[in-house]
Amino acid sequence: MRAATRMDYAAQVTSFLLGQMPKLLAGFAVTLTVAVAAIPLALAFGMLLLAPRLSGRGLIRGAVQAYIEVMRGTPLLLQIYLIYFGLPLIGLFPSEFTCGVVGIALQHGAFLCELYRGAIESVSQRQWEAGRAIGMTRLAVFRYAILPQALMKVLGPLGNQLIVLIKDTSLVSAIGVMELTLTGKMVIERSAASFEIFVAVALFYLIVTAAVGAGFRLAEQRYAGRL
Amino acid sequence: MPDVLAKNLPYLLSGAVMTLWLSLAVVSLSTALGFIIGTLGAVGGRTTRAFVTAYIFILRGIPVLVVMFLGYYAFPAFGYRANAYVAVGAAQIVYAGAFVAEIVRSAILSVPAGQIAAARGLGMPRAKILMHVVFPQAVRLAIPPLLNTSLTTIKQTSYASVVGAWELTYAAREVVERTLAAFQIFLGVMAIYFCICYPLSALSRWCEGRFVVAH
Repeated sequence: MRAATRMDYAAQVTSFLLGQMPKLLAGFAVTLTVAVAAIPLALAFGMLLLAPRLSGRGLIRGAVQAYIEVMRGTPLLLQIYLIYFGLPLIGLFPSEFTCGVVGIALQHGAFLCELYRGAIESVSQRQWEAGRAIGMTRLAVFRYAILPQALMKVLGPLGNQLIVLIKDTSLVSAIGVMELTLTGKMVIERSAASFEIFVAVALFYLIVTAAVGAGFRLAEQRYAGRL
Repeated sequence: MPDVLAKNLPYLLSGAVMTLWLSLAVVSLSTALGFIIGTLGAVGGRTTRAFVTAYIFILRGIPVLVVMFLGYYAFPAFGYRANAYVAVGAAQIVYAGAFVAEIVRSAILSVPAGQIAAARGLGMPRAKILMHVVFPQAVRLAIPPLLNTSLTTIKQTSYASVVGAWELTYAAREVVERTLAAFQIFLGVMAIYFCICYPLSALSRWCEGRFVVAH
């Protein structure tokens, strides 16, 4: 008797989830689009901040440092709200999608800049002097000595940061982008289905983050082998 | 212009008090949970270690917002009528606990095996080895990343507003919807969060240079 009800429950949940699959897949596609749009923006923005952070003049360097501190010390959700509710007041009306992507890129760019800096500074400073002493230009030292080692060191933290970014795409649901998390919430509210839908939503995220994690670990091993 | 912020400041500050309570509860309980689970993950038997690995892998792979929705909808499904704070708080504790557990586990595992073998050679019992040899070193190693995790956890309490728990970010949205003063209110609230987070951020940077142990 008990086994039979349990079977019933399993069959019901499975058929319900299968029925909702098209909606979930559509939401999943939006989540991936947000991530794919935000990742290159964040990577590039982090690079942009790097030069002034490392060797800029006092004022610019201070400004970049302050910006990074503010990004570190305030929640991403508020930054997204600020963009989404603030920009219309100065006459700009970007879509929810754009606001979300820009918000994510602005926050993660700051974190990525700190990662790049950490990797570069972890390569011994004596190598700069050694390179200069044998007559290499500063750029050449950076390109041929520092960068390859820094890349090696940045891969692990970079993978972790991108996983955080992918997870953070769920926050754009708060301003109404119909991605995976908001889809899950909508399905629950419209169909009186219960929390099982969020188990499915969680699985979708887990697949992507696990794949990205595994990819970066593999890249790290390959790269370590070549170096 | 800034009088919109001044007029609503008492309301926002009461939201900040709620955020502080939520943060205090989540940070302290998740740290306790993570310490227990992380220790089990480092010194437990094979099955225990496998469970801990699975817990850490799954929770770290999904967004905290999804875990909070899961908690919010799962409590009623199992017949508990929990209020939003309990559901959201429990979800955040379980989530942040996974990050703490990973830090504690790797900190314990980074204590050189030779020291443990030496302690065992002296005839120390397991519990004593943990208390006097492993933990003092592991804790020093774990403190800077734990501070960073606490920082993230405090910022994450703002996501409770999406699930419907009233705190600082929720209050900010209410005020903005009433007054339309998005810049004043959101920037003001970001300043409040910054005041809460910056001391921790500074402390973690101060520790990072200090607690490095060379083996």
